[in-house]
Amino acid sequence: MSNPQSTTKAEPTQQSQPQKPPVLEEDDEFEDFPVEDWPQEETEHGAAAANGTNNHLWEESWDDDDAAEDFSKQLKEELKKVEASH
Amino acid sequence: MPSIFEDFKEGQRIGSGPRLAAALTPVAPAENPDRLKAFFYFSNSTRLPSDLRYSLFQATGIRLSKQEANSWIEIFSPYWKAVGEIVKFDEAPSHASWVKVFDAWKETTNMLIRGYSTNGLQAWTVPCLYIVGRYLRTFAQKADAELSSQDSVAFGDRFQDDAVTDFRNAKLEEATRVINRMFTLCLSDRASIEESRKWGIYDTTNLLFKSYFKLNSVGLSKNLLRALNASSADLPEMDAFPKSHIVTFKYYVGVIHFLDENYAEAEEHLSYAWNMCHQSAIKNKELILAYLVPCHLVTTHTLPSKKLLSSFPRLEELFRPLCNCIKAGDLGGFDAAMTVAEEEFVKRRIYLPLERGRDIALRNLFRKVFIAGGFDEPKEGQPPIRRTRIPVAEFAAAVRVGTHAKEGSRVDMDEVECLLSNLIYKGLMKGYISRERSMVVLSKGGAFPGTGV
Repeated sequence: MSNPQSTTKAEPTQQSQPQKPPVLEEDDEFEDFPVEDWPQEETEHGAAAANGTNNHLWEESWDDDDAAEDFSKQLKEELKKVEASH
Repeated sequence: MPSIFEDFKEGQRIGSGPRLAAALTPVAPAENPDRLKAFFYFSNSTRLPSDLRYSLFQATGIRLSKQEANSWIEIFSPYWKAVGEIVKFDEAPSHASWVKVFDAWKETTNMLIRGYSTNGLQAWTVPCLYIVGRYLRTFAQKADAELSSQDSVAFGDRFQDDAVTDFRNAKLEEATRVINRMFTLCLSDRASIEESRKWGIYDTTNLLFKSYFKLNSVGLSKNLLRALNASSADLPEMDAFPKSHIVTFKYYVGVIHFLDENYAEAEEHLSYAWNMCHQSAIKNKELILAYLVPCHLVTTHTLPSKKLLSSFPRLEELFRPLCNCIKAGDLGGFDAAMTVAEEEFVKRRIYLPLERGRDIALRNLFRKVFIAGGFDEPKEGQPPIRRTRIPVAEFAAAVRVGTHAKEGSRVDMDEVECLLSNLIYKGLMKGYISRERSMVVLSKGGAFPGTGV
């Protein structure tokens, strides 16, 4: 029943040398889940959708107004130095 | 918690793979600390075959074909031996040995594989493969640790670099070869899909991924992916598999692409893993994000939200300083944060993509110049348009701000132009440099794509 061809394909070979030196800590291995399967509502996606917090993953705001004035001032000061040196 | 024989009986009676696999789980749970001992002391090595025949079949009334029944007895014999070795850790620790546990467990695994390949074990029992394969890895790692601690005692660490390190993972490599046969056993099953061991394919693949990562042979994972790809037409759709199999599989496939610097593809798999991951599997979610965050930075030039990182203190510590600098366009701070965390980034193999964050920091710095430039005189009845012709000198001043340039130091204009053209080339900024006027002319429709201006 076993297929000899795919055995050779997937068999690890002795000549394979370590390619990437750093080894992850044992601690960093993906853990076995305590249950085999779970319903959609218990997935990260399902839970986030239920809470209406679907888009909280990535930063979207630029806070452009918060620091703009400060930066303008700094920029003007440095601009003087740039112009003085050229 | 029921006894090992009760699990076997119930599993067979109701046809439940997980219940049957519970019989082959070599741990004594807190609520039944004597479970393994009770199993070991029910017999002795001379009476074992007949005792097993009695306890597995005659006493339980489970009727299987003669071949199948014999196969289970062949599996439970080395299993009994392995359990005996495990029990020793409790009863005679000085004689206990993980190497012996591993050897007996390997025999159990081989018998189980033979049960499927030649003795007609039914496909619904395939969760037994998951459990037995999982513990084969566990015991191999414990055996390797035991061997290397004995070696370092014997050799006084003198050969740490040559003799010992070569055999550091000998048992894990042995285990991996056995699990590889499990992989073939699942993938090559030609039975119709309802009765196929193919349902075990992702779980056994995951065991191999974990081993290859541990053995620093990530490249071998690609052989598995090729083999899976070649059989993809015969495999059920991914979402038909249990989510624990798929999430783990997607995580590893994502990391494999990540290490090849295929960030877009990596992100696709990691996002899938993230979305389907169990919401309370914190550790696994953290691992997914550790790669997904750098991916996302490279592919979309966006940072993780504060809220996202705040749920994962270790990631917060890892990424927050860098993210703050990228967001603020603080080039000096970015370089310092990269240096401080370099070791950790290298260890987690995320240094390279994070380094690309410097371009994003620079983009954000130059974007601030654009914002600070305000608006041109609005034309009659037209909405105001931002000033799009900006002297190169202003960007030079920004570079001075961003790099915390010292009083009296000079910023090289050619270098600033080089930074500008680099961003334009990479599509992070739209416009051109007019050298004769020392001006940057930015696009009126989206000078900094994807950033709202």
